[in-house]
Amino acid sequence: MINHIGRRQFMQIAGLTAVTAGLSSNIAHAAADRLRLIFWGGQARADKTGQASAIFADKTGIAVQNEFLSWNDYWTKLATQIAGGNAPDVVQMDYRYITEYASRNAIAPLDEFVGQQLNLDDFDEDQIQGGSVDGKLYGISLGANSMACVYNTVILEKAGIELPQGGFTYDQLYEYADLFKQAGLPKGISVITDSSGNEQVLESWLRQRKKALYTADGKLAFDADDATEWFIMWSKLRDAGVCVSAEDTALGTGPMESSMLVTGKAAIQTDNSNLLVAYQALMQDPLALAPFPLIAADATGGQYRKPSMFFSIATSSRAKAEAAKFLSFFVNDLEAAKVLGTERGIPCSEAVREALAPTLTPLERASLEYVSSLGDILGPIPPSPPTAAGEINQSVLANISQQVAFGMQKPDDAGPDLVQQANELLSRS
Amino acid sequence: MVRGKARPWYASAEGAGYLFLLPWGIGFLCLSLGPILWSLYLSFTDFDLLTAPDWVGTANYVRMFTADAKFMTSVRVTFVYVLFSVPLKLVFALVVAILLNRGIRGLPLYRALFYLPSLLGASVAIAILWRQLFAGNGLVNQFLAQFGIEGPSWISNPNYSLWTLIVLAVWQFGSPMIVFLAGLRQIPADVYEAAQIDGASRWRQFVRITVPLLTPVIFFNAIIQTIDAFKTFTPAFIISNGSGGPVNSLLFYTLYLYQEAFGYFRMGYASALAWVLLIIIALFTAFAFLTSRYWVHYDE
Amino acid sequence: MTNNATLSEATTRSRLVGILVHVLLIGASIAMIYPLLWMLSASFRPENEIFSSASLIPSSFSLRSYIEGWNGLPVSFGRFFSNSFLVAILCVIGNVFSCSLAAFAFARLDFRGRRVFFALMLMTLMLPYHVTLIPQYVLFRGLGWVNTFLPLVVPKFLAVDAFFIFLMVQFFRGIPKELDEAAMMDGCSPWRIYWKVIMPLSMPVLATASIFTFIWTWDDFLGPLIYLNDMEQYTAMLGLRTFVDSTGVSNFGGLFAMSVLSLVPVFGFFLVFQKLLIEGIATTGMKR
Repeated sequence: MINHIGRRQFMQIAGLTAVTAGLSSNIAHAAADRLRLIFWGGQARADKTGQASAIFADKTGIAVQNEFLSWNDYWTKLATQIAGGNAPDVVQMDYRYITEYASRNAIAPLDEFVGQQLNLDDFDEDQIQGGSVDGKLYGISLGANSMACVYNTVILEKAGIELPQGGFTYDQLYEYADLFKQAGLPKGISVITDSSGNEQVLESWLRQRKKALYTADGKLAFDADDATEWFIMWSKLRDAGVCVSAEDTALGTGPMESSMLVTGKAAIQTDNSNLLVAYQALMQDPLALAPFPLIAADATGGQYRKPSMFFSIATSSRAKAEAAKFLSFFVNDLEAAKVLGTERGIPCSEAVREALAPTLTPLERASLEYVSSLGDILGPIPPSPPTAAGEINQSVLANISQQVAFGMQKPDDAGPDLVQQANELLSRS
Repeated sequence: MVRGKARPWYASAEGAGYLFLLPWGIGFLCLSLGPILWSLYLSFTDFDLLTAPDWVGTANYVRMFTADAKFMTSVRVTFVYVLFSVPLKLVFALVVAILLNRGIRGLPLYRALFYLPSLLGASVAIAILWRQLFAGNGLVNQFLAQFGIEGPSWISNPNYSLWTLIVLAVWQFGSPMIVFLAGLRQIPADVYEAAQIDGASRWRQFVRITVPLLTPVIFFNAIIQTIDAFKTFTPAFIISNGSGGPVNSLLFYTLYLYQEAFGYFRMGYASALAWVLLIIIALFTAFAFLTSRYWVHYDE
Repeated sequence: MTNNATLSEATTRSRLVGILVHVLLIGASIAMIYPLLWMLSASFRPENEIFSSASLIPSSFSLRSYIEGWNGLPVSFGRFFSNSFLVAILCVIGNVFSCSLAAFAFARLDFRGRRVFFALMLMTLMLPYHVTLIPQYVLFRGLGWVNTFLPLVVPKFLAVDAFFIFLMVQFFRGIPKELDEAAMMDGCSPWRIYWKVIMPLSMPVLATASIFTFIWTWDDFLGPLIYLNDMEQYTAMLGLRTFVDSTGVSNFGGLFAMSVLSLVPVFGFFLVFQKLLIEGIATTGMKR
């Protein structure tokens, strides 16, 4: 048994492992015929990305080693790899984190490659702007999307509701709730998810009031009164049973399968437009898209086209030129585009969109049309958010909105609290 | 101590002690001491993981105790968890171990069944299982409904969510149970035989023989479970999806530490948090060791 | 002397107690493993029924989740299992060997600095691992070990799991000291005492350490997550984590099916070694 395994045998076993493990390790990742790419996502994304990488290898002779992780695991590993000086050449970046990584010099500016390896000739201007931090380009947008209400058409139909073409208002939500009751829909179904802690819904609401989340120089662009009004509005919706209860809302924080829309707790879910396809894959009832709620029927400029995610190049990469080539291929190559589809959002190159149009599924087309038909509701893309924005969203806004929802804080106090805590974080970083 | 004159140095207790400790010593020097000292240094710096650390003196510690409400929240959450989960888990494990140590038919099966939940560890599946049990329409509430009780959504209500994690900890009582069992097996049967001849009752045997001879193992389990409970991370992380919510009710100390380090790039501050936790745990452990000589019986 | 009547009364009573104990144990076991039964049944359900149905019995049995889980990733789950197995077995060997050496020193040998070393060892248990993650990563990267199993296995041969040292110390200290003193009188070296006296008497704790090492290594995901980049090298736990992503559609059927399968080896290991745990004492015939 265990006790009889001697030192020598141990050394043999250990040596053997070292050899077998060494065989498949990537010793020469710095060589320019090989790139490492890391991204978050599920199997579907990994398959598509792998196919595109294979096409790239065929065309250029540069192999791309893909690694994918779930969102939660991704950021731990990426931070460790960067701190350990072992970052992959190409890393997927989120809108929320790009400022952080850029300002700390973990990802490299791409301007020197533009027009050389990196072809952005027919790339959407707002998407280039979305990937820029302090005037330098740090990320290539892999797709545009916009905020959207994903709604269950069957439930709304049963209640006899037809959402107005130009978007519905917050006030109309009360009427819808009445119609839900009249139609005898089960008590457990609310009209809309509780979005009081959703940064994007707040941002859209502020923009309609001609304010914003942040100014160009990284200060708060709203005040305590705005925030208080926001929390009061949602408290009223909650008390009237229009939006989902606090307990249920807190259940919906995990994977999409536990979202209020999929679990049948809400008919309208506030989220991103590119997720329509993913939501539909989880549900029988047909889904559709509508803009975020409006403060008034004629309100404008609440939404914008935002980059869904980026590819960036690690500062430590020793194959930046090749990596730039890969980025260019990934967003421009028509063959790759057909494989990738709209899984990461609407492609940002006009030529790619045209080539892709006939191949789209009805759902993909619906999300593409949604983004391009927003009209007056669409405003300009805001300046890149300050470094603390992610933390303000995840730890301050989310927490205060839950405190209000669970009745642990009055909406009147929540507004000033939000502003004070946000300012503290902004001045800290 | 008997020391033969002709023996080589390594056969003496002193020399042999160091020799036996050699593998541990190498591991400690290379893998533990370095990182521990590094984190101590970092706790006095501002370090964002991506650029070089800046020395800030005691600022991290000062902030922690004067200006950080979340730190206090995480300490409170963690203390409540330790205070309830550790004793409950230990008592449960000891009772089951004693039950299983008797000559019961089907013993291996019971033992295995009771150990099964612990095998699951902190797999991602736990998050979903716990939701199935403790959500508003979960199994627990379906059970309560038969008695006309309408339960809250335990897992997503900040007043109760921590308790679902305490239940999880107690549910996974397998490890201390096994250690207790191993301890019980090491008590020689002849001690009991002698007691039975003296006519001692079961309870008396338990109090006079089992418990005293088991004290080294009880001591071990208490210390290990306390340390582990203070450091609990994964269950809170997977069940709250990393957020520590609702309303920070699951913001365990190490989850807060993790958020600071890897979510918000404040490794310096996270290192200071780590050292404060280390000192808290060390105080508990030192206290346990100091009192141990009054109640832990070794055979010496 | 007891007469026959009270004797049979006593046996009836003890039989009743026995039945009661069994009823209690069966009830407790069912409550204990109910969540696991739910998981088992979820793994056989059609995917769309997993979250909607509360009953334990699926409306139809399907092996789809198992097939899709096993082959759903670019690398088959069989590979993950064999990786996990290799790592776990090596860790068991490393831990049992190196920790028992250190524990013997702490429990039985007298040398200068013993208490200090012991305290230092305990301290390594107390520091949260997230802050030591990066320096260790830097070290292993310097050694060129990233993307191999070495960072997961080699530390076990250097007794970094203080838990096991402490565990063994507690058990070694429970072994009567007369035994080694007698051996020492006979001129045994410390090495011989460790090997011939202490180890044979410590089967229960060695079995315990083996079980825990195997299970914990099997269940660990942070080490594999940080050090393994190549999917060919993934362990089962790391494979499981790629099934669920909060930003898209997850494969819950595959998750549950593979979670069930991944319980099988650890459960088997536990069953085999628990026998050793229980038998240990009988074979040593320890006497005072």
